[in-house]
Amino acid sequence: MVNTLDPQNFNNFSEASVSVEIETEDMTLNIGPQHPSTHGVLRLVAKVDGEKVYDVKPVLGYMHRGYEKLAEVRSYPQITTLVNRIDWVAGFSNEIPFIAGAERLMEIEVPERAKHIRLILTEMARISSHFVFNGAYALEVGALTPIFYAMEDRERVLDLIESVTGGRFHPNFNRIGGVKPAAGSGPTTKKDIQDLPAGFYRDTKVAMQKVIEAADQFQNLIGGNEVFKKRTKNVGILTAETAEAFGVSGPILRASGVKSDLRTLTDYLPYDQFEYDIPVGENGDCYDRWDVRVKEMVESAKIVLQAIDSMPSGPLQAKVPKVIKVPKGRTYVRAENPKGEMGYYIVSDGGLGPYRLKVRTASFSNISILPLLLEGALLPDLIAIMGSLDFVLGDVDR
Amino acid sequence: MEDFLSKINENFINTDVEFETINIKVDSSQWVETHQKLKDEFDLKFFSWLSAIDWDNEVSIGEAPKESVSPSFEIITCLSNVSNNNLVTVSTTISKLEPKITSLVEIYAGANWHEREAYEMFGINFENHPNLEKLYLPDGYEGNPMLKSFELISREVKPWPGEVDVEGMPEEPESDESVDG
Repeated sequence: MVNTLDPQNFNNFSEASVSVEIETEDMTLNIGPQHPSTHGVLRLVAKVDGEKVYDVKPVLGYMHRGYEKLAEVRSYPQITTLVNRIDWVAGFSNEIPFIAGAERLMEIEVPERAKHIRLILTEMARISSHFVFNGAYALEVGALTPIFYAMEDRERVLDLIESVTGGRFHPNFNRIGGVKPAAGSGPTTKKDIQDLPAGFYRDTKVAMQKVIEAADQFQNLIGGNEVFKKRTKNVGILTAETAEAFGVSGPILRASGVKSDLRTLTDYLPYDQFEYDIPVGENGDCYDRWDVRVKEMVESAKIVLQAIDSMPSGPLQAKVPKVIKVPKGRTYVRAENPKGEMGYYIVSDGGLGPYRLKVRTASFSNISILPLLLEGALLPDLIAIMGSLDFVLGDVDR
Repeated sequence: MEDFLSKINENFINTDVEFETINIKVDSSQWVETHQKLKDEFDLKFFSWLSAIDWDNEVSIGEAPKESVSPSFEIITCLSNVSNNNLVTVSTTISKLEPKITSLVEIYAGANWHEREAYEMFGINFENHPNLEKLYLPDGYEGNPMLKSFELISREVKPWPGEVDVEGMPEEPESDESVDG
């Protein structure tokens, strides 16, 4: 029997193992469509070599509902209901660019008060969307606790949205020319006193303070966590040039160091009346993408508090014709949604519905970066990178 | 914006401005070079989207165009700059009989998925595309759903519930009567 502990024999062994080439087979790993970390029904077909991912192919379409086709057989007021369901985590934000586009073509001037209400609610939708991201992302990288805090805090914001619009997720609150008279606010017979519900300002102030506190809490609870930092810092780095070429927008683009925000660049809502910062990241890694969103929540809360204080009085609706017909023309209106640039390209032929409606959603372009970002990543980082893009499948597939 | 517009007008012939958006119409043969130029010289590095419109007089869903159009596909891209509000749409018209155009993936990597979507939805072939296959639709799906000739099956099987519908409702308003919401 050969004594393997004998140094001479040991040398022989190592020589033998070097001369034999070990062949490994690549494995194809199917993730989803029913995987909790895919936020719905995204399917990834990953080719892995050990723990290294070297090719990822996203398979889309499990949530494709054909909204662009449906929009061709709907009238403009009916489409508002449809677009609510695109990014269901921030339903209210989806309505804004569509309504603004129709109003632009019809040359309707929206009353200031309606614009302010829209602004407040769309910022609340952003806060609630970022709450979901915060909880879910922490969960994906292994922290179980934050989601309970996030869901509780989000509920406070959703309650406010519900008190005004009557719906938690799908408000369907915007009307061409303004907003719907608020739910549960005064007798329905007298239109002029139907407005924001009683105590809305007071409740909003309390809730926004809580949001600022919650963001601070997240910074400590999640951001200060050593495991979280290890899992997200210098992981999934995205450069600004690549992001722009792929049409990646919103917090992901800002995390890559680009100070770009459609709220300041365009005028779809009166953001120029308020003071707020645009948080920007440095490295473009997962940590920055998380960090930018937490800071954005605070800025949104500040905008809401300012808007509450400077709420103009006046009507909620401009004068609009009974039958909504949009004049012939085309326009593209884009808005800064929680997930990035969302826009509607409306091609109108002067009819009751659009001839063609192109819906540009943020998540679609944002996750088109996945194959590039995941190339060469470690398998455990796949979930961390994917989660940091904060996509919703309704926003990807439409 | 003013300088940008005058520079655009110097370089392109067929331009117009509609609601602060600059529209450039080009021939399909200049499709790629136009985008290359807009990216390099006009600093429009952000690729927003690409899509198509099916122009046809005979439609099986929705309303037909009020004025007669020549049947064709219009392909549109939207480009912008992340640090200012310059927004440009580029459009070109291609024949329906031979729907093909050169892919933009070499210039804007983000065009990849948008072109795949236009390929399955309208049946437009993008030449030189690295991976031109269906994006949303399942394998073996026949037809191009976004064509105006493609019927919405659910409407064929079951008329829309309720009496109030896009098709049922339209009646010209009797007067210019306006209402407060």
